[in-house]
Amino acid sequence: MRGVPALIASLLFTFSPSGVTFRQEASPTPAKYLIETMGGGVALLDYNNDGLLDLFFVNGGHLGGADFNRDDPKYWNRLYRQNPDGSFTDVTAAAGLNHAGNGNYGMGVAVADYDNDGYPDLYVTSFGHNVLYHNNGNGTFTDVTAKAHVEAGGWSASAGFFDFDNDGKLDLFVTRYMDWSLAASKPCARQTYCPPGEFPAVTNILYRNRGDGTFEDVSAKSGIASRKGRSLGVAFSDYDGDGFADIFIANDGMEQFLWHNNGNGTFSERALDAGVALSDDGNAFAGMGVDFRDYDNDGKPDIIVTNLARQTYALYHNDGNGRFSCRSLETGLGALTAGSSGWGVGLVDFDNDGWKDLFVAQGHVMDNVEQIDASLHYREPPLLALNHGGRFARADSGENAALAGRGAAFGDLNNDGLKDVVVGVLNDKPVILMNKNANGAHWLGIRLQGVRSNRDGLGAIVIVNGQTQYAQTSGSYQSANDKRVHFGLGDKTLVDIQIRWPSGVTQHLKNIAADQYVDVKEAAQ
Amino acid sequence: MTAFLAIGLLFQTVSPEAVEHAKAGLAAKQSGDIKEAIVEFRKVTELAPDLAAGYVNLGAAMIENHQYSDAIAPLKKALNINPSLTGAEQMLGYALLSSGYTKEALPHLEKAGDPGALGIAQLKLGQFPEAIKNLNAALEKHPNNPGLLYYLGRASGLLSKQAFDALESSFPNSAEAHQSLAENYVALRRLPEAEREYQAAVKARPDLPGLHLAMGEMYLAMPDLAKAESEFRAETDLEPGDAESSYRLGDVLLKEGKVKEAKAELTRADNLRPNMPETLYSLAKARSLTGDAPGAEKNWKRVIELEAHSDLAAQSHFSLAALYRKQGKQTEAAHEMSEYESLKHGPPAGK
Repeated sequence: MRGVPALIASLLFTFSPSGVTFRQEASPTPAKYLIETMGGGVALLDYNNDGLLDLFFVNGGHLGGADFNRDDPKYWNRLYRQNPDGSFTDVTAAAGLNHAGNGNYGMGVAVADYDNDGYPDLYVTSFGHNVLYHNNGNGTFTDVTAKAHVEAGGWSASAGFFDFDNDGKLDLFVTRYMDWSLAASKPCARQTYCPPGEFPAVTNILYRNRGDGTFEDVSAKSGIASRKGRSLGVAFSDYDGDGFADIFIANDGMEQFLWHNNGNGTFSERALDAGVALSDDGNAFAGMGVDFRDYDNDGKPDIIVTNLARQTYALYHNDGNGRFSCRSLETGLGALTAGSSGWGVGLVDFDNDGWKDLFVAQGHVMDNVEQIDASLHYREPPLLALNHGGRFARADSGENAALAGRGAAFGDLNNDGLKDVVVGVLNDKPVILMNKNANGAHWLGIRLQGVRSNRDGLGAIVIVNGQTQYAQTSGSYQSANDKRVHFGLGDKTLVDIQIRWPSGVTQHLKNIAADQYVDVKEAAQ
Repeated sequence: MTAFLAIGLLFQTVSPEAVEHAKAGLAAKQSGDIKEAIVEFRKVTELAPDLAAGYVNLGAAMIENHQYSDAIAPLKKALNINPSLTGAEQMLGYALLSSGYTKEALPHLEKAGDPGALGIAQLKLGQFPEAIKNLNAALEKHPNNPGLLYYLGRASGLLSKQAFDALESSFPNSAEAHQSLAENYVALRRLPEAEREYQAAVKARPDLPGLHLAMGEMYLAMPDLAKAESEFRAETDLEPGDAESSYRLGDVLLKEGKVKEAKAELTRADNLRPNMPETLYSLAKARSLTGDAPGAEKNWKRVIELEAHSDLAAQSHFSLAALYRKQGKQTEAAHEMSEYESLKHGPPAGK
């Protein structure tokens, strides 16, 4: 392995905390409805601001009728509040989240404080219509979808909050997969799920936050609706450093989209020119999950897209000047991922060595793929690959059992400075992987609080110890991550922090001690 | 049809009534009314029962009307009267072959000297080497005939199967028998069974040429790149002069991200067998990844020269576009993207 260790001692360990009883109900049928194999979103959020991350799981539904039987508790989405002792309590009903909405088959979730009241809100995507739950700040949520005008409709997958016009109010992007319905569904060759090209592509939706609790659909006037896709994943970053958030969309079975933010309320699709639309051979990927972060610490956000087996995951290195180059081969991802199918994904520094590692929830889309091709697998263990100076090497993911992994959310569940993972699993309990890294490396966590910028500070660019992070809760697949910005510091115990807020305000903090979560409020500048 | 050439003679030796019916038969045939022609030619055979040409005409018309089994009797009668009628011999052979009397057809086709039909008959009788020889001879006269190509392919496949069956039944523990079984499992995508058989073959004959190459290809399909590399490396050790295994090794090294090693091996493959498009494409990629942009450009351009319209050519245009964009050559990049789009999706409207 050319000086790179092939395997190191395990960092992640499976953990079954008391109180988490959720089981995702995809309800697979012989009819092979595509929605059965696409759900599994997960969110990590601190809904009650007690300093402990809570868990939210999106459920599927019953596939016996168009209402999906979401009144049955078996099919509810679930919110689990973390208790100080690390156990969890199911607070779904108490929080008012037990009405998932008949006619909805659940997919994913986005999290952010869209109304800047200091409490994280939930946006749940579905086949059917989406639901925006406003956090009332007292442990309960209210369905404000109708008032906010963010129902979407059709088949939504990933969604994410970001501030595209830097007005301090978080906007909402919703990916939609395809024009599909139960009536139009069909099984394809050898009685399995159809490839995406069998169904028409659709447009994605961009909602602009008006700041009065309502959103305006600006998909058409922003240019977003000018391209139809089969979109599953979404992540945000400012790839060209112009101060405006850009959007990367993972499309399934067609070219990917890179929406460049023109800074005037409009976007231009530039994936092909930027070199991120296709593989380096010019072939389309089955794009599913995505993360948009700087894996090689050159200060520019890179892009990773998870795909189907035999395609390898695509790692696009940001070369600057608006161009990317595919580096799956040089970084070792070709060998690591050639036989795997990936969904939820995160570039996260698990061992706090200052290099973002790679975690992927895996499993093939077809539950009978082994009958068609014995070398592929419906269930696969997750992938953990540690980053050694820009090259990835497989490590023990802590979960050796094969899973039908889908969503993956990343965050520090026990506030020990080590990033943990929660994986959404189809027709099964979620997998919680606690990080028990023992290399003694230092870390820093930052809780951003915007003032002129959005209160969550999403879109802020934070630089610590030569590493760059773009604050966002989005990315992965249909999932929402811990909003706190995390840095592994290696042997550094004292660092400086530089922040460029979406408002344009820049802030420098000097000599900050490692191994703590610090609160940084946006300076008035 | 040869039989109709005898019609002049016919007119000179039979009754005027028979001649009239023969003329009517010919006219009907020329106008495309084969059924009427058959009626008229049948009357000729009734009015002139010892005239071979009458039966030949009737049989030929029946064959034209796809009444192969009906054609057998008149053609046999014609040959009884005049055994030297080569055309009748050939038609009788067709008629018998088309009616399933293959063994009976064989001597007539041999006499007629028609290698195509003879090859088909031999194929049906399981005489595969003879069939292949005759079908090849027929293809020399009629190249690109789809029927002949099909039967040649089928005969070759069946001969191959016959040989493998004999191998597996006579020498079940030989390396070659295990390899043959493994290849069948690979075709069925039953890769675990294929792997088991390949391993048995390697145990029996680790030095069997081509075995490690086939195993490597199986591992590549799984895909298990590390095992594929190991097998390709074993094959290149055994056969250092084999360009195919050298290319396979270089390509898998590239997929593993071992770009410098890949470049060296692909260069070796290119030296062993120059102008192999797959080798040149992968070599270009390795060169690009190791910073040798001029070398990469040269190799991708050569792929396009060799294969202007293939998927590999499209990929080469796409790769050249990326290369030129990096170099700031926007016009060249746009041109390559246009070529790529044209090959992938067809030329733009109006082009």
